[in-house]
Amino acid sequence: MSGPASLLRGRRLLLLAALATAVLIAVVALGGLGGSTVYYLTPTEARARGIAVGATARLGGLVESGTLVYEPTSRDLRFVITDGVTRVTVSGRGAPPGLLREGAGAVVEGAFAEDGTFRATQVIAKHDEVYVPPSPGATPARGRP
Amino acid sequence: MTWADLGSGALRAALPLALWGLAASIYAVRRRDARALASARWSSAAAFALTVVAAVAMVGALVAHDFGIRYVALNNARETPVFWSAISLWGALEGSILLWTAILAGATTHVAWRGTRSLPSLATTALAVLFGMLAFFLLLVVTPAADPFVRIDLPPPNGRGPNPLLQDHWLMALHPPLLYLGYVLFSVPFAYAMASLILGEGGDRWLVATRRAALVSWALLGVGIVAGAWWSYAVLGWGGYWAWDPVENAAIMPWLVATAYLHPVMVEEKRRLLRVWNLALVIGAFALTILGTFLTRSGVVNSVHSFTQSAIGPLLLGYLVAILVLSVGLLLWRAPRLVDAGPVGAPLSREAIFLFQNVLFVAATLTVLLGTLYPLVVEAVSGAQVSIGAPYFDRVGVPVALALLFLMGVGPQLPWQGASRATLERQFTAPLVAAGAGAAWALVAGMAGPAGILAYALAAFVTATVAQEFARGVRARRVLRAEPAATALLNLFRRSGRRYGGYVVHLGIVVVALAIATSQARTVEAEATLAPGGSMEVAGYRVTLLGLRDETEPRRRLVVADLRLERHGAGDEVRPALTYYPNATVAIGSPGIRPGTGEDVYAILAAFDARGRAWATIRIRVIPLVSWLWVGGAIVGVGAIVAALPPPKRRERAEPARVAAEAAVGAT
Repeated sequence: MSGPASLLRGRRLLLLAALATAVLIAVVALGGLGGSTVYYLTPTEARARGIAVGATARLGGLVESGTLVYEPTSRDLRFVITDGVTRVTVSGRGAPPGLLREGAGAVVEGAFAEDGTFRATQVIAKHDEVYVPPSPGATPARGRP
Repeated sequence: MTWADLGSGALRAALPLALWGLAASIYAVRRRDARALASARWSSAAAFALTVVAAVAMVGALVAHDFGIRYVALNNARETPVFWSAISLWGALEGSILLWTAILAGATTHVAWRGTRSLPSLATTALAVLFGMLAFFLLLVVTPAADPFVRIDLPPPNGRGPNPLLQDHWLMALHPPLLYLGYVLFSVPFAYAMASLILGEGGDRWLVATRRAALVSWALLGVGIVAGAWWSYAVLGWGGYWAWDPVENAAIMPWLVATAYLHPVMVEEKRRLLRVWNLALVIGAFALTILGTFLTRSGVVNSVHSFTQSAIGPLLLGYLVAILVLSVGLLLWRAPRLVDAGPVGAPLSREAIFLFQNVLFVAATLTVLLGTLYPLVVEAVSGAQVSIGAPYFDRVGVPVALALLFLMGVGPQLPWQGASRATLERQFTAPLVAAGAGAAWALVAGMAGPAGILAYALAAFVTATVAQEFARGVRARRVLRAEPAATALLNLFRRSGRRYGGYVVHLGIVVVALAIATSQARTVEAEATLAPGGSMEVAGYRVTLLGLRDETEPRRRLVVADLRLERHGAGDEVRPALTYYPNATVAIGSPGIRPGTGEDVYAILAAFDARGRAWATIRIRVIPLVSWLWVGGAIVGVGAIVAALPPPKRRERAEPARVAAEAAVGAT
């Protein structure tokens, strides 16, 4: 601590360092935003937008009745998710969450494969307090994914 | 008289009292009128009593299954046991706002009776601010949008029952009220800050007067967040405790800002610096508590917690905007009076560390805020619904958390105004050796990746600095006062509770950091479909499915998998289940957890044979050190209590001399 001049220089250095830290964090944050954005779509929207093969997306809709097949030994899971207009076949590995039921809402996260089926990495059942099925072709009802 | 009459009558009577209290407290400040102040005091007490009556009436209606009230019909059923009925007070929107209002009325009453005695003009102005906020919430609960006592003309024979997720775990009795207490108590520092600006004081009296309220609010919020993480771990059944859900973010943001705020408060007290900054932090933390309520209660974001969409959203948004405009306006208006006594000086001083710590906390908060609000912006601009995944938050959160851990070790070891080389050597030799040992320990423990190893090293670093502080404090007392070690330690807590309680908080944070780093990096998961009698191996455990059974309770039906865990001959049983509630379209998973000091075994019944109960798919996660997360949260709470307790009054005057002597001994 020798005199006001060095104090002032110390302060400027400090503020610059603080500012640089803040900018660095902002850059890292903004850079990560794009990569972590997951689109939340209905099957109809997914088809209309032409989501690229392999791009992460979330599909929301109803599990079509009579399509849910779970093979216990291999733990292969298959079902059709629909918004009443477009049907998408979803396949995944691992047990369905206990919450998944035919006719009820579900959200699947994953990506489209070459053959047009959706490879789910995560299957999330919706359980709203009061479940309202989405109207045909509409965006998924809000609520708990 | 029905519960509904009692409750809605009480709320409608409390509203004019709050308005009267607002007018009376303004009059009391302007005219220095003791009678007006007395009147404001009594109206705060009466309004508090009435809101408590309303909350009790709601609990009474819930316990009595009074389905003539819409809230009860929607959130209760005849089969709901008394405990779950009672805590449904905070199970949905209207009841939560009611509880919130009652807590706010309690805080108002506290300021009216205690605060105004020591600082009449400042506290009475703060009282007016609190009455204004209380009037808003009382207005809210008497409008149809949020009125908890809205009646149904034709009561249904049975109600719909509480949200299934909320009637499964005792933590539900703890987590929401703790958070609400934390949220609402922060209005006390905010109100004092506003009062200070309104009066144009320019000094630090508001800050000193509300230090304890800020600390208690911060601690409640922190413990409430950990309780929420624990609840999510024990109930949601995916084996994790934090998902960067918008509501989790809404709770962590004010906590981050409040943590940032608690530290420079010491700078301002000690060196009278950073006045505008402290005020901005208080405003920010308070605004974030309201933003959190708005986000979670308005249905604008997708979340575990979102209640059904409600007309309350625009009202809360209006309130948030009004608070921000008024408080920021006041701050700008008074900024010229808020002159700091000197600049922040040397880079290696405690105040410089506080500055960096603040930059990091605020940057972390803004990052979380951006990730939380970004989906709203995208939807407004392009109409697309998006969500921001955990990778975004981890990318910023992990390095910032590590940097903060580092500063947590460095800050308390540096003197105010700058450190000499000798000081640095004395303070950091042992901690740096400890950091090296910590890194080695991480490698032995099987942590891979720089973040995990760094977390262990920094944890050891911070622990060593804290141990060093305690050792020096105890030694000083032993030498100067000839106290035995245990007494000396106790006296450190009693006489310098803020400092040593703060160190305990730091230790709690270290425990939390280790638990998070380890559980995130070293969880082992396996899944298999088993027939009864079949078994699987995971992380050294042999898991055997003993059988599947059905259980029926009045309010729900369960399918339970009985699992046997064996390792090194020792055995345990866990019973994951799927629960079916009549009011839910889908089953709720209840994990079976075998907690342990080294690791938890977390079992999930993922699927089962619906016809013959001939097979079950079981998912097992072996999660190391996760229980220490809750322990760490409790340590933080205990440290905060120590720091918030008032020191014994009498020997206060001898303190400066003793501190100097302590420092002298510590320096040898």
